[in-house]
Amino acid sequence: EFRFGPCRVEGVALPGLWEAFRTVKDAVQVQDNNTSIRLLRCEVLQNVSDSESCHLVHDLLKFYLNTVFKHYYPKIAESNTQPSFSTLANNFVFIVSKLQSSQAGEMPPDKDRARRRFLLFKRAFKQLEIQAALTKAFGEVDILLTWMGKFYQL
Amino acid sequence: HMAEDSPGLLQHVKFQSSNFENILTWDSKPESIPGTVYSVDYKTYGKPEWLAKAGCQRITRKSCNLTVETGNFTEFYYARVTAISSEGWSATKMTERFHPQQHTTIKPPDVTCVPKVRSIQMIVHPTLTPMYNADGHQLTLEEVFQDLFYHLELHVNHTYQMHLEGKQREYEFSDLTPDTEFLGSIVISVPTRLKESAPYVCRVKTLPDRTWT
Repeated sequence: EFRFGPCRVEGVALPGLWEAFRTVKDAVQVQDNNTSIRLLRCEVLQNVSDSESCHLVHDLLKFYLNTVFKHYYPKIAESNTQPSFSTLANNFVFIVSKLQSSQAGEMPPDKDRARRRFLLFKRAFKQLEIQAALTKAFGEVDILLTWMGKFYQL
Repeated sequence: HMAEDSPGLLQHVKFQSSNFENILTWDSKPESIPGTVYSVDYKTYGKPEWLAKAGCQRITRKSCNLTVETGNFTEFYYARVTAISSEGWSATKMTERFHPQQHTTIKPPDVTCVPKVRSIQMIVHPTLTPMYNADGHQLTLEEVFQDLFYHLELHVNHTYQMHLEGKQREYEFSDLTPDTEFLGSIVISVPTRLKESAPYVCRVKTLPDRTWT
């Protein structure tokens, strides 16, 4: 179960997400030639309070679904890793749907802090050429899962 | 004489990590090219600068211990090796992105198996890692992996095993037959990371029952 502060998400197995990403990780990360830029850097993910975490994971996963996975999919279709990709995407859709119902209508200050963190990530993404940005962001799913793992309980 | 690239000079540059002891290794083809020297750099993913690893500059061996340099288990790292042969050939190769918490394998636990008359006690000793937190406290595997637990088996005979598991360090298999040999097997498991150690195995015999019946 994930516990992002007030937001609970049951029915997602984090080990399964790790297994899915592990299948595509090396093939994707080797295409990311820019080792000096990290999108999900410390300022985005470090010391996130529980109450911020729900908003931040919601924004990040929505961005991954609507931008990264959506536009990166053609590259995945060329390789035989669709099952793993689908596992990741479907689980992200499920998590977002659960988060949405938990935080409807709330406008606490945490949402603003989480928003600022997310915008740091998005700005770094926009500063890269689109294909490079998509490859880098997809290659950083392990950074995202590592952070999400802090809110996961068996 | 400008150094040109030679692929055979340098191959399989990768990290070998176990219990967070992170060793960079590489090969060459053929096995050894006399006079070839190797230099190692490393960097944190997201940082611009490559750093030269002191002690691994112009070496002839094909490994380099980067445990200290890659000691933040939450970080992501790269390393690269540059090989230069005596004839002026050169090659540079980089590792894949290395994340200690993701890539390290877990060694078998250190366990003391204590036989008694009708039970066997098993005491799992903490596994220290080569990493320290900000206060200088040396971290154990349990502190690095929050969901780490131990799984213990006692093989009674070919068809029957007893099982115990948990996060605590002391376990006892009871209601056993005195003066009988058992095989104990203990593994460390980290489910969220899909990690499991090889087993620590102990062969132990319960004590004879000297009480008068």
